[in-house]
Amino acid sequence: MASGGNGRGSGRFLPPDPRVVEPYRLTPKLALRLAVLGAITLGVFVVLFLRLWALQVLSGDQYLRAAQNNQLRTIRVEAPRGVIRDRKGRILVGNTAGIAVKLWPADLPEKGRYQMLKRLGKVLEVPAPRIAREVDKRAHDPLNPVVVKENVTRAELFYLSERRDEFPGMRLVKSSVRAYPYGTMAAHVLGHVGEVTEDQLKKRSYAELVPGDKVGQAGVEAAFDRYLRGTPGLDRLRVDSLGQPRSDITPLKLSTPGNDVELTIDADLQFAAEHALQHGIQIARNSECYGCWNANGGAIVAMDARNGEVLALASSPTFDPRVFVGKPNPWRLRPLLNSNAAKRRNYPGLDRAIAGVYPAGSTFKPVTALAALEDYRVSPYEALPCTPSYTYVGDNGVPYLFKNWNPYVNTAITMPIALAWSCDTYFYELGVRFYKLRSSPLQQWAKTFGFGAPTGLELGPEAPGLIPTPEWRRNYFKDPIEKLWKPGDSIELTIGQGEMTVTPLQLARFYAVIANGGRLVTPHVFKDVTNQSGVSIVPRPTQPTPKKIDVSASALQVVREGLFRATHDPDGTSTAIFSSFPVEIAGKTGTAEKWSSEYNRYFDQAWWCGYGPNDAPEIVVCALIENGGHGGTSAAPAAREVLANYFHVKANEVGVASSSETD
Amino acid sequence: MVDYAGARRRSTRVRRLEEGAEAFARRFDWVLFGSVVALVAYGLHLVAGITRDDVAGSPDYYVIRQAVYAAVGGAAMLGASLIDPDLYRRYWRQIYAVSLLLLLLVIPLGTEARGSQRWIGLGSVTFQPSELGKLLVVLGVAGFLAERARRVGEVRTALGTIGLVAVPALLVFVQPDIGTSLVYGAALLAMLFIAGARWLHLGVILSIVALTGALVVWILPSAGVDVLEPYQRDRLTAFVDRSHDPQGASYNVQQSILAIGAGGVRGRGVDNATQTNLDYLPEHATDFAFASLAEQRGFIGAAILLLLYLLVVWRGLRVVTYASDPYSAIAAGGIVFALMFQVFVNVGMTMGIAPVTGIPLPFVSVGGSSLVTNLLAVGVLQAIHARGRQR
Repeated sequence: MASGGNGRGSGRFLPPDPRVVEPYRLTPKLALRLAVLGAITLGVFVVLFLRLWALQVLSGDQYLRAAQNNQLRTIRVEAPRGVIRDRKGRILVGNTAGIAVKLWPADLPEKGRYQMLKRLGKVLEVPAPRIAREVDKRAHDPLNPVVVKENVTRAELFYLSERRDEFPGMRLVKSSVRAYPYGTMAAHVLGHVGEVTEDQLKKRSYAELVPGDKVGQAGVEAAFDRYLRGTPGLDRLRVDSLGQPRSDITPLKLSTPGNDVELTIDADLQFAAEHALQHGIQIARNSECYGCWNANGGAIVAMDARNGEVLALASSPTFDPRVFVGKPNPWRLRPLLNSNAAKRRNYPGLDRAIAGVYPAGSTFKPVTALAALEDYRVSPYEALPCTPSYTYVGDNGVPYLFKNWNPYVNTAITMPIALAWSCDTYFYELGVRFYKLRSSPLQQWAKTFGFGAPTGLELGPEAPGLIPTPEWRRNYFKDPIEKLWKPGDSIELTIGQGEMTVTPLQLARFYAVIANGGRLVTPHVFKDVTNQSGVSIVPRPTQPTPKKIDVSASALQVVREGLFRATHDPDGTSTAIFSSFPVEIAGKTGTAEKWSSEYNRYFDQAWWCGYGPNDAPEIVVCALIENGGHGGTSAAPAAREVLANYFHVKANEVGVASSSETD
Repeated sequence: MVDYAGARRRSTRVRRLEEGAEAFARRFDWVLFGSVVALVAYGLHLVAGITRDDVAGSPDYYVIRQAVYAAVGGAAMLGASLIDPDLYRRYWRQIYAVSLLLLLLVIPLGTEARGSQRWIGLGSVTFQPSELGKLLVVLGVAGFLAERARRVGEVRTALGTIGLVAVPALLVFVQPDIGTSLVYGAALLAMLFIAGARWLHLGVILSIVALTGALVVWILPSAGVDVLEPYQRDRLTAFVDRSHDPQGASYNVQQSILAIGAGGVRGRGVDNATQTNLDYLPEHATDFAFASLAEQRGFIGAAILLLLYLLVVWRGLRVVTYASDPYSAIAAGGIVFALMFQVFVNVGMTMGIAPVTGIPLPFVSVGGSSLVTNLLAVGVLQAIHARGRQR
């Protein structure tokens, strides 16, 4: 530093000597730069302090609360669903207690997460990718558990509870799952329970639910979910970041079990109906009718004719509702959800009683009869020809030929006989009379009797069916010829053919109108809902009131006579089945031709609809056997089995029925 | 006479030693020393609280280790303060070569931890060359700049300096350790700045840095070239969008902010700091140490720490003003600015105002390499101060 003075001194008088090294000193330039660095430093620390102040002093309380909640896990304690009973209090759907394996995504390890899921999946026989997918779905809701498996076996339970530490984030939780004491019985009616879907969660009625909660997804379970579903309880647990519990479970809120729902279904009759359906299908298969080898499905509706209480609702083929229990295995659900798999098994998930649509065939003739009488197209005892065929000559002079099912008849008959014999040409004549009118009285009456629209049963979805009208043809078809309502359309409709379709339930509802003297009932399965103490919690009356139809008693009497004759006259279409039945039964067979695109021809659908006892009807039964041939062949015997059960008729009291070739 | 002469000789030696010690003590920056000692002691106190529950059965595990490192680092600091910085200037090439060698050694010998190859195992301890590399690169590159002190305004000098820093920075970047390579970059800028590089050059460098950042983060990935590891990109995305993936990338920062906020003014105390004790806060002994201590000690405790840092940085900048030669000034500037940068990035990261990078909190985070290197760097600052210009 000694040279510093020299350098400065020499600089005053002489130019700087390049050999002399300038000493290093704090030049103004360096000072400025250091000042800049100092300013940056100060700025940085000011920023850090302000941020620290903002976090800790200004919003410290809010973060403190968040940090306290960070370690609390609220566990929803599932409430057992209410029990579903039949009208006599027998349990149709109950609960069994089980242990569910649930995963809290927030507590799963970051590293080796998939390996853990893989091990868990192996133990529980659940594919690991599926678990991983569901965990990923909860990325934005990691405090809500994912159900991996419900109702684990004892071996799985022991294995997992001994190795809890190896599965962080997993907890074994008590759960209750559905149990079906009657097995597959009434599977379509009862429906099933499943995890609430994302779409459902958006609805207001499911507002208090969270993903993973279970709700009724079909049938009674869905229709009365608001009664059956209980209120979940809440437990609280402190956990560390690995999800390991650090405290005992503290209950915050106790769960409230759901209420019990009582149905109008009679378990005995339901069982009989399902058995009868199989019986009917078997009869059809054993018969020699064309296409009957293909008889593979059907439906039976049994309903209280007076008030619309559905006593039995059978549909075949059916499924085992247990495939939905717990965490369903998608493979076993395939026949119910996948269209190809469903087709191979003839759509077991379809409830044919309420959603299967078929042409009504001759079971529709009473509708035609009532419409013709009420519209004064025919008088009850006016004799019309019953011939092997009916020829209609149009305005252009071209004759159209319509065949009677029975070619060996040639006589004039009155309406009751026409119903008893199911004479087609009698009704063709009525159809021509309807065709000549501008209004469509037959369709109007069909609508009044509840056809072409859902019946209002609580279960669903119902098919509306179809009653074609000239207007419908105009709107539905594109082709100018097809758009026209032709005489054939009116004629075919009178015998329940053509484009028209009905569901078995609609038909049963119509026969109830005949049976109860003109009141259109609303079919329903709901009888009562009771709380845990067995006290009803709905204010009475809960039953829908039947709607009075403006149909004259005399017209109804004519049709009832016809239906009684159909089961008792020597030439009645189902006399062979019902004449010797200890209770007087009245009813109508039907053989509906339904187009099979698979076989490219028409197959006969067997129908029988009727009621009993004839003088004071209590029950109305409608049976349908798909591809079952003639109504009297398979459907009538099936319906008889149901009636036999209802009236407690023992098998040996029933006259042996030989299948008759009738329509 | 012999006795006299011997006594005289001895006394001269003693006097010289005494004079030397006295002079050294006079020229020693006691405030810097005191604040660093306070920082290390306070850091140990904080670590004791933070890591209490980390090793089951031995709550003092990390504190004892850290105390040993602090002792080693303290000795290193005192040793370094005795070495004349001119020695570094003369051998800057060798120092720079050693830093490169150490960083290259990581590639064959390094052990991988948490997805990154940063450590070399030496018996029971591991050593992180990139930490020591910070100091070595600064000492080496400062030599390069000092040699060209008169030509510092030339483009060649600026480019050469950048090249010299870029090599070790890249080696660190590919480990991968973005944070530490950023520290290298910060030190480079500070050294150029102190050396007197032109404002224009500095401006160009800063724009290039900004452009490269944009290129790496947005432009190249959109063109299908991924320079960054997925986790690094996620962290950057998470920094921009806090609500992005709460369980993944932004989880750490969210938990960290929660921990700091929950600390409040007075802190939740060691026992009640659930974010730390229940492991919600990841890496709370190392990268997120600040969040943890802020939870436990509150605003008061965290502010004390920040003030201590401010004190150290201020004394460090003051050392630059006393530097007796360009080399000392440049080296001191690089060391101080790198330290300040680390504090900002680490503390800012825990509070969500800087992206998440794996930079330890100087003097506090558990980890020997970082602590020893930082103390060594302070020792170099002391040496520069002690041999600084006359005041």
